[in-house]
Order: sequence, then C-alpha cells, then structure tokens
Amino acid sequence: EPLTSRQAAELQSKVVPSKQILHSDNMEMEPETMETKSVTDYFSKMHMGSLSYSCNSKRKNK
Amino acid sequence: LQYENLMEASCLELALEGERLCKMGDCQAGVSFFEAAVQVGTEDLKTLSAIYSQLGNAYFYLHDYTKALEYHHHDLTLARTIGDRLGEAKASGNLGNTIESAWKFEEAIVCGQRHLEISRELYDKVGEARALYNLGNVYHSQSKNIGCIGTHDPGEFPEEVKAALQKAADYYEANLIIVTELGDRAAQGRAYGNLGNTNYLLGNFRKAVMFHEQRLLIAKEFGDRPAERRAYSNLGNSFIFLGEFEMAAEYYKRTLQLARQLKDRAVEAQSCYSLGNTYTLLQDYGKAIDYHLKHLTIAQELNDRVGEGRACWSLGNAYTALGNHDQAMHFAEKHLEISREVGDRSGELTARLNLSDLQMVLGLSYSTNNSVLSENQDADYNLHVARSRLGRRHSMENMELVKLTPQKVQNWN
Repeated sequence: EPLTSRQAAELQSKVVPSKQILHSDNMEMEPETMETKSVTDYFSKMHMGSLSYSCNSKRKNK
Repeated sequence: LQYENLMEASCLELALEGERLCKMGDCQAGVSFFEAAVQVGTEDLKTLSAIYSQLGNAYFYLHDYTKALEYHHHDLTLARTIGDRLGEAKASGNLGNTIESAWKFEEAIVCGQRHLEISRELYDKVGEARALYNLGNVYHSQSKNIGCIGTHDPGEFPEEVKAALQKAADYYEANLIIVTELGDRAAQGRAYGNLGNTNYLLGNFRKAVMFHEQRLLIAKEFGDRPAERRAYSNLGNSFIFLGEFEMAAEYYKRTLQLARQLKDRAVEAQSCYSLGNTYTLLQDYGKAIDYHLKHLTIAQELNDRVGEGRACWSLGNAYTALGNHDQAMHFAEKHLEISREVGDRSGELTARLNLSDLQMVLGLSYSTNNSVLSENQDADYNLHVARSRLGRRHSMENMELVKLTPQKVQNWN
C-alpha cells in the first residue's frame, strides 16, 4: 500500500462521531409543574359585579 | 367606606385581568396587572396570597428567578400567618421549584419535603403526587449539576451522580403510582418522560425505551405534539446507545418531521445534527453530510456559532471518511476559526489535530502528484481504499458495540 493511501486510510479510521456529541445535552425533560392559586374562585361565586362582592366578603370577614 | 369598596373592587379586577392574561400565555402583561393589584392592596389575605403566588409563577415563566423567589416567599409567609396549610404546601412547592432553578438543591429539597409532608398530613393525594414529581426533578437537576453529565456516556457516571439519579427515579416512580391511581393521564405522561430520561442516564436503555414509548402513547392520546416530538427524540437517543442505529434514525426522522410542522428551527437543527451523527454511525456518509449541511444552514441562520462549529467538525469528519480531503480541509479550517472565536479550547485542539492529519495526507499527495488529473485519480484511489477499509472498520465498530451494549443488557435483566 502506498504511503499516502495508508495515511488517508488511517485518517478515515479516526472518523467516529464523538459519543459525547451524540448525547450532546439534547435529552428533553418534561415541563415543571407549579402549584396554582386563583382569585377567580372567590369571584366566580358572585354574578352581580365586584362592588356587591366586596361588600359580601367584608360581611363574611366580620 | 365607598372609596374602600372601590379600591377593593379594583384590586380584584386587576388581579382577574392578570389571571386572564397569564392563562392566555402573556405573562409579561399579566405581571403588570398583578403588580398594580398589589399596589392597590386588599384586606383579604387569601386574595393577596393568590396574587403573590401568581406573580411568583409569572416571573418564574419569564425566567426572572430573583423576583419569583421574592413573591413565593411572600406567599409562604402569608399562608403561614393565616394558617392556610394547603396554601403553605403550595407555596413551599413553588419556592422549591424556584430555588432549584437557582441551583440551590439542598434548600430546594427542604421545600419539596415540606410540600410533601403537608400534603400527606392533609391527605391531599394530588399535592403529594406533585411534590414527589418536584422532588424527582430536583434530584435529576442535582445529578446534572454535579458536572459530569456532558463528559461521560450514559450509564458511566461517578457514583455520586448515579445516587442522585437513582433518587430521582425513586421519586418519579412514587409519583407514577399515585397519578395512575388518580387516573391523571397528563401527569402520567410527564412521569414516564422523566423516568425515561433518568433511566437513560443510568444506562438502563431498554427501560428508558419502555418509558418513552408509554410517554409517546399518552402524548398521542392528548394530541400533544411537542410532547410527541420530545418522546421521538428521547427514543432516538436511547436506541443509539442500544446500538440500534436504524431505529434511532427512524425516530430522529419523526422528530425532524414534527419540528418542521411545529416550525421550531432550533429543534429542527438538533434533529438534523442527530441524524447526521446517526448516519455516520451507519457509515452512510452521503446522508450524514446532507443532514449536517442542513444543520449548518440553520445554525448560521440562528447565529448559533457553537452549533456551527460542531457542524463543521462533523462535516470535516464525514468528508474525511469519503476521502474528500479538500472539503474536509475547508471544514476543519472553519472549525478551528469558530473554536477560537467562541473560546472552545478542546474544539481548537481537535481542529488542529484534524488539520495536521489532513495536511499530511494532502501534502504527500501534492508532492507525489503535480497534476490536477493525477490528484483526482489519487482521490478516487483513496475512496477505493476507504471502501475496502469499511469492512475492517465495521467489525471494529461492532466490537466497540459489543463492549457498549450486551454487558448493559445483562444488567437490566
């Protein structure tokens, strides 16, 4: 085998994709879940507008 | 009194508008309304607690963790003040998630444990499950933060990392049991996905495939295409390490298809890159080059210099494998230039080695042949040599895979 082609062949034998690259931080996690609170819970109980609600809520608080 | 009522009303109305905007996904606008609601103030401490909590979450989604921390902390203090145990549990959970994002894992674990304890005390199964999921996430992040995830193959991390991953897996499993009992399919999907990834990192690739297949099933049930795409991508990764490259290519192709449908250029680039690497492993260098060129185009479009450097490196390798040394030189030079620019020392070193190898081959072929014609013949000859070597390389790689796979397969059974 001529020198050049042997070197070319040796060079080719080095061609292996880096395993590090194969799993290069592309693992995909599921989203986090945050706990939720809502003011709608109070608000949806009333159908007459916010003023009457706040009066009711004050009465309840006393 | 009239004035007070008006103020009360406007605080609520502002908060409701904030809620509506956040639900629509416009957290930035939602924050303005919540902040205004806080300015107006309210006597109802439960309402205030809900506002703080939502402000904390909005800032969390906007990646402003300092502000998120501040508001979740306010919420926790308030919940304790008014003796709202459920509110306290929720605030602890959110605080834990936020602290985890700041990479303070010990503190995040304390918050997560509190979330778990109170939920159990209140017989709140939903809260308990969510706390378990959060704790799984904290241990998973902690394992990544120990700092070796990028430098080892899955399944070959130091004991410390494996221990954190095992804890994460235990918490996800405990979460899965409860959400299965509750029949909460969406939560099951999340647990399966993260269990799949945790087992992948632990080197349990068969198990990882099994979990990601379950995740895929649920994603399809919900028509959740981003989740479906995630599952394909994670399945591809698992099959790579099982040495089943054809399967990996199939899943990466589906990832690519969905990335294009979802118009997500960054993910499209990542899929092309994964496919390029997979076809390199399959020794189909023509296809590898096609995909790496696609990856290169998008990386340039997104101004992702690191990605561009990786693409050049991969292209240099693939052209070298084909014996196309001129193109290989071109990309190796670009790889060197970009590595210098982004300060990637190991990339720079790799590029220099590749260049000196290539120069030797090219230099010798130039010195032995002074005509373009004979150079081309030489290139053909090199290609011929390359093909004749494939048989040998193939068996070498099989040996490598024998080392990589069956031992681990035995560990799972």
